[in-house]
Amino acid sequence: MNSRVVTAVLIVGLAFSFLTVTQQLGSWHLPGNQQGYEPVQPIAFSHRLHAGEMQISCLYCHSGAEVSRHAGIPAASTCMNCHRFVSAPLGALRAEDEKAKQENRRPRPLVSPEIQKIYDALALDDHLTRDPQKFLQPVAWTRINRLPDFVYFNHSAHVNSGVACQKCHGPIETMDRVRQAPDLTMGWCVNCHRTANAAGVASRPVQPSTDCSTCHY
Amino acid sequence: MGSEKPSRYWKSWEEGPGATGLVQISTSEFPEPLDRPAEQFNRRSFLKAAGFAAAVAAAGAGCSRAPVEKAIPYLIQPEEIVPGVSYFYASTCGGCATGCGVLVKNLDGRPIKLEGNPEHPLSRGGLCAVGQASLLALYDSQRLKAPQAKGRIASWQEVDEQIAAQLASIRTSGGAVRVLSGTISSPTLNAEIQKFLLQFRDARHVVYDGLSSSAILDAHQQTHGERLLPHYRFNRATVIVSFDADFLGTWISPVEFSRDFADGRRIDSRSPQMSYHAQLESRMSLTGSKADRRISVEPHELGEIMLRIGARLAQLAGSAFPIAARTQDNSYDTVIEDLARRLWESRGRSLVVCGSQDVRLQILGNFINDLLGNYGATLDIERPSQQRQGNDANLQSLLDDLDKGNVAALFLHGVNPAYDLPGGQALVQAIERTPLVVSFAERLDETSALAHFICPDHHPLESWSDAEPVRGTLGIFQPAIHPLGKTRPVLESLAIWRGQPRPAYDILRDHWRGSVFPQQTIEPDFQTFWDRSVEAGYSEIRLKTSKPPRFQAASLKPFSQSSPAAGELSLVLYPKISMLDGRHAENPWLQELPDPISKVTWDNYACLSPGTAQRLGLREGDVVRLEVDIDAVHSPPLELPVFIQPGQHDQVIAVALGYGRKSTERFANAGPKWLFGGSDVDEDGRIGKNTAPMLALVGGSLQYIRDNVRLSKIGKRHALASTQTHHSLTMPRELPIVGGEHRDIVRETTIAALLAGEKKTVPVSPATNGLWPADHRYTGHRWAMAIDLTACTGCSGCVIACQAENNIPVVGKDEVLRHREMHWMRIDRYYTGEQDVDVVYQPMLCQQCDNAPCETVCPVLATVHSAEGLNQQIYNRCVGTRYCANNCPYKTRRFNWFDYVRNDRLQNLVLNPDVTVRSRGVMEKCSFCVQRIEVARIESNRVGKPIADGQIQTACQQSCPSQAIVFGDLNDPNSRVAQMARDPRRFGVLEEFNFRPAVNYLTVVRNRDSHEENSKVNQNNG
Repeated sequence: MNSRVVTAVLIVGLAFSFLTVTQQLGSWHLPGNQQGYEPVQPIAFSHRLHAGEMQISCLYCHSGAEVSRHAGIPAASTCMNCHRFVSAPLGALRAEDEKAKQENRRPRPLVSPEIQKIYDALALDDHLTRDPQKFLQPVAWTRINRLPDFVYFNHSAHVNSGVACQKCHGPIETMDRVRQAPDLTMGWCVNCHRTANAAGVASRPVQPSTDCSTCHY
Repeated sequence: MGSEKPSRYWKSWEEGPGATGLVQISTSEFPEPLDRPAEQFNRRSFLKAAGFAAAVAAAGAGCSRAPVEKAIPYLIQPEEIVPGVSYFYASTCGGCATGCGVLVKNLDGRPIKLEGNPEHPLSRGGLCAVGQASLLALYDSQRLKAPQAKGRIASWQEVDEQIAAQLASIRTSGGAVRVLSGTISSPTLNAEIQKFLLQFRDARHVVYDGLSSSAILDAHQQTHGERLLPHYRFNRATVIVSFDADFLGTWISPVEFSRDFADGRRIDSRSPQMSYHAQLESRMSLTGSKADRRISVEPHELGEIMLRIGARLAQLAGSAFPIAARTQDNSYDTVIEDLARRLWESRGRSLVVCGSQDVRLQILGNFINDLLGNYGATLDIERPSQQRQGNDANLQSLLDDLDKGNVAALFLHGVNPAYDLPGGQALVQAIERTPLVVSFAERLDETSALAHFICPDHHPLESWSDAEPVRGTLGIFQPAIHPLGKTRPVLESLAIWRGQPRPAYDILRDHWRGSVFPQQTIEPDFQTFWDRSVEAGYSEIRLKTSKPPRFQAASLKPFSQSSPAAGELSLVLYPKISMLDGRHAENPWLQELPDPISKVTWDNYACLSPGTAQRLGLREGDVVRLEVDIDAVHSPPLELPVFIQPGQHDQVIAVALGYGRKSTERFANAGPKWLFGGSDVDEDGRIGKNTAPMLALVGGSLQYIRDNVRLSKIGKRHALASTQTHHSLTMPRELPIVGGEHRDIVRETTIAALLAGEKKTVPVSPATNGLWPADHRYTGHRWAMAIDLTACTGCSGCVIACQAENNIPVVGKDEVLRHREMHWMRIDRYYTGEQDVDVVYQPMLCQQCDNAPCETVCPVLATVHSAEGLNQQIYNRCVGTRYCANNCPYKTRRFNWFDYVRNDRLQNLVLNPDVTVRSRGVMEKCSFCVQRIEVARIESNRVGKPIADGQIQTACQQSCPSQAIVFGDLNDPNSRVAQMARDPRRFGVLEEFNFRPAVNYLTVVRNRDSHEENSKVNQNNG
């Protein structure tokens, strides 16, 4: 009798701990594996809006990807190419227009708080000219896709071979907040190099090397 | 290549002819005695600590996320910059007054490497060790960041007001204003100094060089009526006789001369031809080590030999010779006859250079060169050199004026007289008495510490300036980075003080518009000319040719050479290739660079010949006291360790200049600090001893040779951090001889043997049933290197180039003493012979063997072979067993015993972001600059063109002044490296063991008649 209770308790306990651990196992990573990392950025920039809905080419902002090791984060001046004219979402502007018409007044200029951050960074005043009273404040983005210092990944080598951005960055055009899609481990890199060697990239033959010194030097 | 005596070559005196059995060449892994107190921390406690640390690390690592890293882009994108892509700006090297052309490699807004500018007419792509290392000085955190007034930091406005007030009163009182500078070859700065001095009634610009060539200029004043320094053209000479001029090492323009010299000696194996070079010198110089015939003479004999060669040549030419030679001595008769005959036979194609500071000898040299018709051929005086303009007579009169208190204002630019002049305390007091002393020094040094105002100049990489090293050849300095401190160019300071403040850029442009542009005829408008010049980094203008001055025979007057009594010692003060006159003493790369001959780092020392050392009962490292009487006054005695230098004359003590600088006190923490670590500096807190007090300024020139030196042993010992027996390649005796004979590590031959078609390189037949299967197919590229040992001068420019490119740490003197220097490339120096030694240099780097012994022993596959022939070292896989280093026959692997000192954040900006900074416990070695290969490969994929031969240049190859190193694809039969690999002179080091190294060496060729003469030379000069 007594031993039965003990056994039952043990079995329940074992099942409970098994369930807890298996849940944890899914999110357990090897040290250094940051898959799924999705930090809050200083400006809530949406790739879904810009790359997905607006269909702006990735290379418009990340122009280094074709020529450099780094794709590069666009300078605030690049944002201003559009946001000199676009200061708030279309819906908000329309609503303000409607409201102004109803109230029989000129519509007030609208600046969304996120876009205001670009203007602040560039120390611009309400007329988008440089305000000498303010300081320039670079935007400190939080880095997501990060390789260790002993790995040399080159964007231009991949972009020019026809590798799509999404191959490594995941469905970036659907992300409001960017997260690290693959695990970025060496095995993941080498697997792709091997498959590409056999099957090519976008049905074009390529010879990505699997020598260590391709990435490590 | 005697097969019976395989060890003809030796590396140090104790290991070679001076072998006593006391010093054995170290083959064990730990050369230093392992007498550590083992009880303090034994194996058991180590394991306990290690186990605990591992547990903590494992627990911590599993739970932690990587640290958050910020990515901060530009706010406003500069048009010309793409992050991650490097750009090259053509500029001029500011390391010394030579003015070589450089390309500044800029990455992410900062210079990270200097490369030689291949199109520059003088340096033609070469860059010396000092030039390479001058980059590090840009990021020196001890550079002055703001002006100083009377010892405290001030604003520019404050300093300018005070100086202007004092200058105004000098203008009314008519006091003497003096600008004391080193050689300034910048036409703009010289013009600006003249404009500045024009405001004063008594004003003069005095120039001196720490390494003076004043006697050459003074001699030309007498023989040609113009104070000029000829532009020597070594490539046009077929016979070169050098009297103590170290033209490949430190004399005037070594990079240019090395290239010229090597070009005159490039061997085409089908029709071998090369120039003949004889060197007469008292110590072993870099130039002497490359000579076909090197004659070691007592310094005072030099004049006598020169006289007799002059007399013999005059006799051959049938002209009068007014000087009688002392004839009691005929020991050099055969040498003199031989040299005179060779010189006479190649009249107009020969060159006599003389490094002496004795004007009479220089006049004699001019006479000989004129007699041979060399002026206009191998010596250009139409477009003379301006690389050394020092006038020691003017310096002497300035020092007298200072001493008498006649100078009202002294401006100091690029000089450090309180350190490098012999005046000592008297000079310091004289400078302190001067009412206004203004220094433009970049750092607080011995002299600027005495100045009332320090107005720090920009680093050359921060400023606009120009240079005219040779008349008609102009270089431009352009800034490659925004000034890091609140410094100000001298051009601007002078302009402000004469009341016309303007930016340096405008001053420079205006000077070029007014003075340079009208002299050229190619470009029609100034803007195009300026743009072209800035883009190229230099400009060559054709000068209106006036008739060059002629030799005036009357200038050759009789003189008699005094010679010291036999057996007395003379002191020869010489510059080292790294330290020169001490101007870069604060540069750790240069301090740790082994001297090419002595292989000693971090020190200067008294070089003695083996014979003298034996006679005086001195061993290497014994400290001796040197005393010289200066004007009947005791000089401060100098205590230096002894270094035994084969090939040096018995009556000579040679000591390097440029050490004992105050700024070397910073190196107290140069290396890692650990339980058993020793000091990295001397007892007085500095590196080496200052020898400048031993110099003499007599007869209007700085004298580097002193007679009647007294030497006494003081019973102390001082360890010299010499790398000469580190990483020695040895042929294990117990191994059977493979392929029938022992081959030497280095090989040399004579031009006569080559002409006779003697086949020096017997094809090696290594054991074919070796350990390694032939499984490397190399279907694509196959990277390889070829090094022409005939061209290599040992200048060590490659060593520093490699250090800058590959983020190689400085380890400090104590670690060098433990054989732990980290240089990936070293210059192995071998001696042959016993009395008059020959020297052979062999740059040694990872040989990237096909059958690499290191690869077979690595337990974690951290070193593996690539499909293109590279022996890859993967830092992140390495666990530091060091098996590979033990199994490397070439001893080219380096282990990171520590995380070397990198706590200077400013200095870390010099790190190349394209190369991993290695951490503790990791093995590293030469990678054939694989980062450059990868950049070229990606670029070739991008533009869709194959990699062209010569497109990839390793860092060592790029900077080699004599173009000895060639890198390329061995699978391309037309590549230069493949052609060199087919040369009959090609050999591989230790290739009989079937390692199949990818580095091909080309045998050293000397211009000698035969092996017989080779040995005869050795006997005759005993």
